[in-house]
Order: sequence, then structure tokens, then C-alpha cells
Amino acid sequence: MFYVRMFFQYVAQYMKTRLEYRADLVVELFSDLLFQAVNLIFILVVFDHTEFLNGWSRDEIIFIYGFFLVPFALFSSFFNIWDFNERYIVKGEMDRILTRPIHSLFQVILERMELESLFGAVTGLAVMFYAGSRLNLEFNWYDPLLFVVLVLGGVLVYAGIFVMIACISFWADARTSIMPMMYNIGNYGRYPVDIYNKAIRFVLTWILPFAFVGVYPAAYFLGREEWYGYSYMTPVIGIVFFTLSVFIWNEGVKRYRGAGN
Amino acid sequence: MNAIEVNGLRKEFKAYSSRSGLSGAFRDLFTRNYKIVPAVNDISFNVKQGEMVGYIGENGAGKSTTIKMLTGILTPTTGGIIVNGMNPHKERERFVQTIGVVFGQRSQLWWDIAVQESFRLLKKVYKVSDAHYNEHMDHVIKTLDIEPLLDKPVRKLSLGQRMRCELAAALIHNPPLLFLDEPTIGLDVLVKLKIREFLKEINEKYNTTILLTTHDLTDIEALCERVIMLDEGNIIYDGALKSLKEKWGEGKEISFEFLEKADLQHLEALTNDLEAKWELDEKDQIFTAVTGDDEEAVSQIIARTVAAYKVRDVKINEPSTEEIIRNIYEKGMA
Repeated sequence: MFYVRMFFQYVAQYMKTRLEYRADLVVELFSDLLFQAVNLIFILVVFDHTEFLNGWSRDEIIFIYGFFLVPFALFSSFFNIWDFNERYIVKGEMDRILTRPIHSLFQVILERMELESLFGAVTGLAVMFYAGSRLNLEFNWYDPLLFVVLVLGGVLVYAGIFVMIACISFWADARTSIMPMMYNIGNYGRYPVDIYNKAIRFVLTWILPFAFVGVYPAAYFLGREEWYGYSYMTPVIGIVFFTLSVFIWNEGVKRYRGAGN
Repeated sequence: MNAIEVNGLRKEFKAYSSRSGLSGAFRDLFTRNYKIVPAVNDISFNVKQGEMVGYIGENGAGKSTTIKMLTGILTPTTGGIIVNGMNPHKERERFVQTIGVVFGQRSQLWWDIAVQESFRLLKKVYKVSDAHYNEHMDHVIKTLDIEPLLDKPVRKLSLGQRMRCELAAALIHNPPLLFLDEPTIGLDVLVKLKIREFLKEINEKYNTTILLTTHDLTDIEALCERVIMLDEGNIIYDGALKSLKEKWGEGKEISFEFLEKADLQHLEALTNDLEAKWELDEKDQIFTAVTGDDEEAVSQIIARTVAAYKVRDVKINEPSTEEIIRNIYEKGMA
């Protein structure tokens, strides 16, 4: 309960900070919306040239892409920790975090949230509705509920992977360029995994399970029954990876060396 | 009751050293040379509830490392720490509820929002009730004189203003133990005085234990009865500030400026039965007699010198704490 309350306290604080810079806020909202619109058009144009990809139709691929954008937007809003090493380890901000009575990872997440990224979810939903209506998908009453569960599963997968990468900073001093590389690999989850070779598929399913953010859960809504097993596993993989990452984080904090003054 | 109990505390860091040249860099890829450097070397001490202790030492002596272990930020390599009856690192989240921390070089406040918003959020973080907050913080805010700063964003405050707000922020949950790491660094004299007064006051009012590191020894002189002195990770002195002075203060210096020409040998002859060593500053023609703490000797030296020469000026100097400490570091404890 305390953590939920703190979450909303920080959200409120975040809003206030944003409102401090009123002009910035307007510009930012505008550019965010513009970016999402361009993104939307871009997706439609790019996929206009693909007809079938290994048995997936153009609209199905667009649908998967749209689905992917939703967990990705949530992830980007709340796990904006790509500069964790520099900000918290090198500059020693972690010292301050560790002197407050809230779990350290939770504090870092709260401090770094970037709520504007939530607009990406709107784009994602728009893309899904567009593709879904062209595919004449049928929905059950419980599908929205399942949608929420699968999206959260995807968010946890993403979060787990990136928290683990952030944890590297506790062991290694040097800056690593793994973060941007990971963002690129993450993009592979947007496309049907059976277009890749077996090795890549294995990696995207079990090692860096980005496929659970896009294609696997989306396959459920597309009625692709051969993938249902993977779809249902999304929340499980999410919980496993995220739990593991929190565990590694806690170990990492014990090794934190602090920054010199 | 002891607020802090430290037993055989040790913290080692691995220090990597790189080999020289390109071939050295290649070898570093596979086997890196490292030394294990103890930053804190098996130290032990206790601090009683309500004590104000100065923790001093040169840069790199291990002060910050100790403070970070005491506040639960770093895990000790070996040794036991009990602070407020808890192990700081093991029960971190429960433990930090009972301490306040001010790092002079690092802000606890949110940069972009008004000070009172930061306070409000911290109040929630520490689960402080409205009644407690109002009763306690009204007083803190008044004493530190930060009322007019509350609605300003932190980034617009001067260093002195910010420091006072930092101090108030560290006290929101009225902790029984306060860690201050260089709280007066870079502050002007008036702000320093205000902060010192305030610390004395909360120590008296709430019996707050304060552990203070600083490079400004006047802070320690004004606040602390006890000092712990650190050198290369070892405690080299732990005791009253007064006895540090008595033990290491090297007597008094009496400086004379004469109206007429004086002679060093003659002065030495005048006081040869007393404990006095004469020195001459050639440039300003100032003659200085260094003597012990014997008051009789001091007055004898002055009496005999004044009788022999016409004097323009006489000064009696006692070595400052700073000089004493510099002496200890330069000459070692032995």
C-alpha cells in the first residue's frame, strides 16, 4: 500500500515539475504527438510494400507492431534507466537513494519516469484497431482483460532485461554500450519470430525473450492457435525475468562501491 | 545507550593498475593487476546517544567510507556495525528511517520543484504524520530562517540557502542520529554560525547524536567535545578535543617587536635558565620565544625582555587546533 501511495506521490511531483516549465510542456506535448503521428504514417507506409511474410499477412504484421508499441510505451515511461550507470553510479546519486526508506530500484524508477512516452501506447492502440478492423478480428468479453495481462507481462520482460543490464554497473566500473545494442535487439520482437533462423528464435524466446513483448502475445489476438502456448507463457516469463532482475539488483546493491567525493 | 557501535570495521577496495604501453594494455585485457587497498582498516569505536563527535582526517583517510558504511550505503568487508540497534546494510530500509544524512556535496532535494514540495514528498517517504511534521518542522524552519525560501525551486537558491534547506530536509523525520559530511563546505561565516547554533540546539532539545566530518576545524571546536582522528584508514586519536590540545599543543609563542636593535644571543642569554627557544624572523625583525605551558616562564620571559629592550609590540600565541592537527599528520603520532 505504501508503495502504491508513493507511486502516486511521485507522479504528482512529476506533473508539478513539468508544469513548472509551462512553455516546455506545450512544446513537448506537441512534438510528442507529432512524433507519434509520423510514426503511425511511417509504419503504414513501410508495411504497405510487404504482402505476405512467411505466412503472415500485412495486416497481421501491422497488428503485431501495434501491440508491441503498448508494452514498449509503458516500459519507456516507467523504466527509463538507460543512463543508470552514468547518473547513479558514476555521479554517485545512488548514495542518496540508499539513505531513503524505500526499495532502491523502486526509487530509481520513480525518479526517472517519463510519462510522455505513454503517448506511444495510444499510437499502438490506434495501429491495432486499424489492423484489427481490416482483419475482422473477433473479440471475447475477457479479451480486454487478457490484453492487460499480456501487456503487463511484456512490460515485465522488457523491464527484467533492462534492469539486469543496469545491474552490470554494480560489478563493472566502465561504461558499457550494451544498452543501445539491447534496444536494437528489442526491436526484433516486433516481427513474427518464425521469419528468423532457429538460433535467433531461440535467443528471442529464452535468452533475451523480446518475442514475448510482441509477436507471442499478439498471436493470441490474431487467433493463431499454434502460438497460444507461447502467448499464455508471456506473464510467466515476465514474472520470472523481472523477479530474477530484482534479485540480481539486490545482490548488486551490496557490491555498490560508491563514488568518491 | 550507544547510538553507534563499531567493531573491527574494515573496508577494502580493489584498485586496478594499468600497465604502460600498448602491449601492457593488451596484457591488461586478460589479467588485470590489482591491489587490495584497505580504505578503512579494522577500526573500533562507540558513540553514546546525544554525543556530538567530530570525525576528522585528511582527504582519502577513510572518513567518507566509514560514514557510508554507518549509513548503510556500503557493505563492510569485515567487522560489525550496530547503529541505533540495527545492522545498517542488512535492514537498510528500516534503519534509514532512524537517521538523517547531509552530504555537503550532494543534494537531497529535488532540483526543479519548490523546497516545500521536496519537504512534502520527504514527509511522505518517511511516513511522518501531519501533527508531528507541523510541531517539529515549524520550529526547524524558523530557527534556520528558511521561511522565505520555501516556495522557491532549489536550483534558484544560493549555496548557503540550499545547505540550510538540506539540513531541514534531513530532519523531517526527527531522527535520533544525524550524519553530516562536510555540511559547511564553501559557506560564509554567518551561515556557518547559524548552522552550528542550530545543531547545538537540536542536540540539546532532542538529545540528537551527531557525527560530523569537516575540514573546517572551527566547526569541530564549536560543536564537538570529542574527536576521532583518522589517518590512512586507522584511528590515530579518539578522545576529548581538549586533551588533544593539551597533549599535542606545543606550548606558547611570544613574539616581540622592538624599537631598538636587539640581539638574538643576548636574548638567549637573558632567558637561559628558562625553557625558551628564540627565533628571529629576519624580514620583519620579529623575535619569537617558544616556550612550554608553564605560565611562570611566560611571564618571566616577558618581564626580562621588556626590562632589557624598548618594546613596540608583544603577542602571545597559542597554537590553533588546525596547527596541532597539521603537526600530528606531519610528524606522526609517535
